[in-house]
Amino acid sequence: MKILMVCTEKLPVPPLLGGAIQTYISGILPYLRPFHDITVLGISNPSLPDEETIDGIHYVRVPGKVFEIYRNSVVRYIEANEFDLIHIFNRPRLVLPIRQAAPQAKLILSMHNDMFDPEKIDLEEANEVIATVSGIVTVSNYVGNAIRELYPQAATKIRIIYSGVDTARFLPGTHQKMQKIRNELRKAHGLENKTVILFAGRLSRNKGVDKLLEALPELAKKHKELALVIIGSKWFSENKVNDYVAYVRALAEKLPIPVVTTGFVAPDEIQHWFAAADLFVCTSQWQEPLARVHYEAMAAGLPIVTTARGGNPEVILANENGLVVENPEDPNGFVTAISQLLSDKSRMKKMGEKGRELAVSMYTWDRVASELLEVWEQAEEVTQPTLEQAHAGEVTSEPLEAIKESPKEEKSEQETKEKEEKAKKKAKKKANEAAKEMAKQAGRDDDATTTNETKKKTKKEKRQPFILSSSYTENASDKKKGKGDPPFIIG
Amino acid sequence: MLLVVFQQVEKTHAISKGGDYVERTTIEPWIVDETTHEFFVPDYIEQLADEVLQSYDLSVKSRQIVTTKPDKGGAIWKLETNRGSKSLKLLHRRPTRSLFSLGAQQYLVEVREARVPPIIKTKDGENYVEAGGKLWFVAEWIEPLAPVTKDLEGAKQLCYALGEFHRLSKGYTPPKQAEVASRVRKWPKSYQKMITKMTWFRNIANAYKDMPASPSLLEVVDEFAEQAKRGLERLHQSSYAELSKLGNAYWGLVHQDYGWSNGQMGENGMWIIDLDGIAFDLPIRDLRKLISGTMADLYRWDVTWVREMIEAYDEANPLTPELYEILLIDLAMPNEFYKNIKEIVYEPELFLGEQTKQLIQTIVETDQSKWPVLEDIQTDWKGRR
Repeated sequence: MKILMVCTEKLPVPPLLGGAIQTYISGILPYLRPFHDITVLGISNPSLPDEETIDGIHYVRVPGKVFEIYRNSVVRYIEANEFDLIHIFNRPRLVLPIRQAAPQAKLILSMHNDMFDPEKIDLEEANEVIATVSGIVTVSNYVGNAIRELYPQAATKIRIIYSGVDTARFLPGTHQKMQKIRNELRKAHGLENKTVILFAGRLSRNKGVDKLLEALPELAKKHKELALVIIGSKWFSENKVNDYVAYVRALAEKLPIPVVTTGFVAPDEIQHWFAAADLFVCTSQWQEPLARVHYEAMAAGLPIVTTARGGNPEVILANENGLVVENPEDPNGFVTAISQLLSDKSRMKKMGEKGRELAVSMYTWDRVASELLEVWEQAEEVTQPTLEQAHAGEVTSEPLEAIKESPKEEKSEQETKEKEEKAKKKAKKKANEAAKEMAKQAGRDDDATTTNETKKKTKKEKRQPFILSSSYTENASDKKKGKGDPPFIIG
Repeated sequence: MLLVVFQQVEKTHAISKGGDYVERTTIEPWIVDETTHEFFVPDYIEQLADEVLQSYDLSVKSRQIVTTKPDKGGAIWKLETNRGSKSLKLLHRRPTRSLFSLGAQQYLVEVREARVPPIIKTKDGENYVEAGGKLWFVAEWIEPLAPVTKDLEGAKQLCYALGEFHRLSKGYTPPKQAEVASRVRKWPKSYQKMITKMTWFRNIANAYKDMPASPSLLEVVDEFAEQAKRGLERLHQSSYAELSKLGNAYWGLVHQDYGWSNGQMGENGMWIIDLDGIAFDLPIRDLRKLISGTMADLYRWDVTWVREMIEAYDEANPLTPELYEILLIDLAMPNEFYKNIKEIVYEPELFLGEQTKQLIQTIVETDQSKWPVLEDIQTDWKGRR
């Protein structure tokens, strides 16, 4: 399929400046690339070209930062380019404008947080959005539930796909690749012989690192040789000081233990700090969707203390890979939980190992990608089924070579409504089949039930070979360049 | 070509409303120190000002900087032109936010005929020019303007003018591209923030125990925190939730920075100037700020002042008993304590000196005279409609 992934207006892809959504997209692209012709549409950045093709992925970057400006740029781009499926990340308010620009495309929406809340989107618009998308992917059960509660009719469209982590990059400090880095970082910051507690996240009341700072004087009385590392700046790469950051700094300055504040750490170096730490603490006070740092901490083999807020507890097996603080407004909850772990080093070690095991078995990018491929392949048309669409469904489930053939020519062969319905069903079946195949190609073993399901499919379909065409992508991008120049309007 | 155009936008940042490319820079806050004069403005901003003025059908004889906001990147110039004195303003806020305020100013002048400075249109008939990633606009320079006297009479004039302003601001609909700046539904949140910050104050004073002001702060912070908590409870029990549902246009706009300098007497009555921070809100928030600020200046709460200020306001913009109750709740919040102590987070070691110790004492003493006054006026609106 010809697929467009539409990022948010805030940060660029690749994630030069970090960002959960940007990291997610970059993480899965290598596993999606072999199966579809993918364009990633995001915001421009002075250090990135406005259009490029890397590893078979086509990137287009348009002005953003302000939602309205970005929306207009996105719409203009989509008006000038055709896609079979458009995957929109975390911006339900982009859906209707995109639907207008692409009446035929299937739309998938990924939800990473609470953008469906009534303050963020009108009820009426949200209802239309839900009606017009084929599927809604959420990063946690919490996010899915929040949408279901507001919009029960969304239930059948929602699917949770937990995020992932690069387990080859985030490694335990004991791993041979990391030992040296761990020792050097600890030495450079006076952390040798310390038990290092790590916090990684935005410095904001929601993320609540102040509660950890409040808990530390008490912890320092009970446990010797503690140290704290805080990774994170106020707003990604900007080190601006607001009242909260000032407050946190004021508290940190008076702590009886060493506090290392790293400021902004480049996303591709952040794993070093995870490897240098001994315990990971997430202090989130708000109903958080599910913070990425949990996956990273698990991959780095760190025991986790997190809070019973939002989706965070969904990745904690209590007492196995971490502890959950039920009442995070009270710093004493952190004193108790952290103290429990610090008093039992072998338990910490076991929890860290369990975390690593979970990360490697459940939270890898190829698993995320294969689930997403399933969503794409199974995506159903939501507009009135026309011949064209029914056929588009079929074509998309074919190997990519088939897409090169003109769908219009084939369309004329199909005539009756009956045929059309049949074709649709067949396409769906094939899509399922293809998705399973892709999951395998991506190197993942499906669980037994899905494999059995796959076996039930017709033999003919099973024999369909996969032809991976990278040249197709290049052709497509050449074509795009030749398209008309949309007028430029400033709002 | 698509790509080229986008690149231009990235690097240009600023385009005049008419579509002419004006310049290449983004306006940033600037540093002032001993080496710079009082109203220093970086050269590139002065150059931008030159270019912005090209969009106007004015011949400018002189331009004088009259005030700056270097930490935010804002400035005001006085212009002498062939069409009289004007002001040129560089608005430091996000352009979409500035659009909201400019729309309001236009509405107040053109639709409601309020005494606020009319906006001078560009050659293209626009309210503003976008340059350096910010909005600029030219308005009439109202002359003569004189501050009202700093006594009860002056205070009452200010209150009446404020009421008038609030009444006229009702019904404003912001332009489509503008951000909607509204505090109507944010009261519980801002009360909650105050409560949270009281905890911060306490935690910092505890962490910096040995500083001169820390013991005084610790002595009183619990009481002020209690006041804030009671305020939030009372707000929840009041008609606030119902009132806030009436919506933005119903309530109209608050100035947010109103007082003896932004409300001044002109030839045909009181004028209200500097509307950049305007936002939708329950109107009594401006009134509350004016009252509590004025009492702080008096170092004591005076029931006659408070009562007459409210009466003067009510004459121009009648208060319902429900709104009056919200006013009482807001007056009972530890506003002055909060306003003066919140700086503590920045440099606790400098802040918690002898001076702050004195300040806390003054605040506490002034606060003691507040409660009998609030008690006195509690029932003033009983039975009113």
